[in-house]
Amino acid sequence: MINKDVRILVVDDDEGIREGCTRVLRKEGYEVLSAEDGREGLELLRLHKDFAAAVVDLQLPYLNGIELTGHIHEEDPDCVILIVTAFASIDTAVQAIKRGAYGYISKPFTPEELRIQVEKGLSKRELALEARLLRERGRKNLLEIAKERSQCSTIIKCMADGVLVINGEGRIVLRNAAAVRIFNGSGIPPLPCDIDTLHCPRLCDIIKSIFSEDASSFIISEEVSLGDSTYMANISRITGEGYGAVVVLRDVTARRRLEKAKSMFVSLVSHEVQSPLAVIEGYLGIARKKSLGDDPASYTGILERSLLRVQTLRTMVSELMNLTALDVGKFSLKRFTIDVLGVLKDVVESCRERARSRGIHIVLETDAAQEEFMAFADENAIGIVFRNIVENAVKYSLEDGRIEVGVDDNDSHVEIAVRDDGIGIKTGEMGKIFEEFYRAKNRQTSSIPGTGLGLCLVKRILELHHGTISVSSEYGKGSEFIISIPKFEEEEDTGCMP
Amino acid sequence: MPEPDKTVIIVDDDHDFLEMNRRVLVQNGYRVLCCTNYEDALRCIKKHRPSLVVTDLMMDSMDSGFVLSRRIKQDPELQGIAVIIVTAASSRHGFDFKPQTPEELAGMNADAYFDKPLSCPVFLKKVSELTRGRKKG
Repeated sequence: MINKDVRILVVDDDEGIREGCTRVLRKEGYEVLSAEDGREGLELLRLHKDFAAAVVDLQLPYLNGIELTGHIHEEDPDCVILIVTAFASIDTAVQAIKRGAYGYISKPFTPEELRIQVEKGLSKRELALEARLLRERGRKNLLEIAKERSQCSTIIKCMADGVLVINGEGRIVLRNAAAVRIFNGSGIPPLPCDIDTLHCPRLCDIIKSIFSEDASSFIISEEVSLGDSTYMANISRITGEGYGAVVVLRDVTARRRLEKAKSMFVSLVSHEVQSPLAVIEGYLGIARKKSLGDDPASYTGILERSLLRVQTLRTMVSELMNLTALDVGKFSLKRFTIDVLGVLKDVVESCRERARSRGIHIVLETDAAQEEFMAFADENAIGIVFRNIVENAVKYSLEDGRIEVGVDDNDSHVEIAVRDDGIGIKTGEMGKIFEEFYRAKNRQTSSIPGTGLGLCLVKRILELHHGTISVSSEYGKGSEFIISIPKFEEEEDTGCMP
Repeated sequence: MPEPDKTVIIVDDDHDFLEMNRRVLVQNGYRVLCCTNYEDALRCIKKHRPSLVVTDLMMDSMDSGFVLSRRIKQDPELQGIAVIIVTAASSRHGFDFKPQTPEELAGMNADAYFDKPLSCPVFLKKVSELTRGRKKG
């Protein structure tokens, strides 16, 4: 069935035919407008512009049927034009068809003949319109597909992860820039190329296994090593229309390195905690079993040592907490302009008693004229620094030793020097003493309690103050530590804390 | 009681560990010498030829104990000396050196492996077992 909700133009100077056609077509359900001559027909055409069909007499006043056909066709190439002609002028009708008319109907004709010719013309028009609609839709779809494809390829191209697409024959058919970078070392043959050209046997095995009949999974995730880097490879099998696999490689080198460092650190901490615990447990076991006899005095030594190890352990935990807080930025320094000489004096006084018990003498030397040394520092944190350095000097001094503490300043920094004539540090160990858990170990130091974290903490605190610490030492002669702290707040750009 | 000439050398960088085990072993009739590092230990072993060396694993470096045990077992003059490796390295975090089979233990060039803290009865039993069959190194 054709759509009859369309408009038809009838142009004929013969009133009988004009009215007759109009009536027949209206009866069919079409909307019909009629004109007496070519000019009037053209006016109607330009006014309405949406005629699906026109029944045009060949002989018309002002504008003949052939000319009118040309105009109608210009306005709307899909308009079905039916020429009404006398039998004698069939040649002219053929000319009209050449100008774009659909067909002709020769007078006299029956209403049935008109009806059939119009219907045939309209159904051809409908088909033509539909075909054009489909063509346009198709073109639009192609445009969308092209757009999507370019989006997709942009996304794949810009991905930080390496992407490889492998066809069912195990050949690489697509790779992005990141994948080219990853496999750069092994040279890059043009596509399509065999997966063996990746020179990564493990990856090739996984890809082959995902294609195998008994593959239990459509996605395999596994870490592979390429050179110095570690990648998490996700290999997914493509199912459905295509057959192949997609490989996505994510660089996890930095993460793995961090995890390893973290695990090493935890191992170190656990070792450093377990060693004193093992000793304390052993000593307590000896005391409980009374292995050293019934005289309580025999146990004083091991109980003293146990106590000392517990105290060291506690110091270590607190230093570890401070270090962790510094590392994660939770230890916020409260820096003001403070008198560091005052802080230093307090630290020296608190260490004096223990030093004296071993005959060690601590001397604090300053320029007598200068009573204060102002620096921009966190009082608590700088107290931890001084305490560690002065206590170290006492711990690593020999009996009856002498420790000299001096303070001086220049335009920008206050400098504190702590010098002892004790055990000293071997040249090879000098660089390591600021490392976590590093302790110089030899016959002389093995009984000295220490956490291995003190100097590490000192260094970190001074870094946050934009200060420095340096050491000079001669093994067997003594050591000197020099701490330098800025006197003033830094300029904006350097004043940031981690 | 063991013969009085059964000499044991303990190597550990922890003063208290040395002292503690020295007391326990002396109490049980052994002659005990203590060293705090690899070099001292090797010198002491060559000089005193003990029946047994008890060494810590992690001292100057992460595997000082392994280096020492290998040095002893590969030296024709020293290989008769028994070796016990002792460590506080946590087996749960990364450093799992604990041997699972006799072959692994042999691979470490050790006759026994203990975690710290040592269980006195188990340790003494092992010390006695390892020194019994041996002549003075």
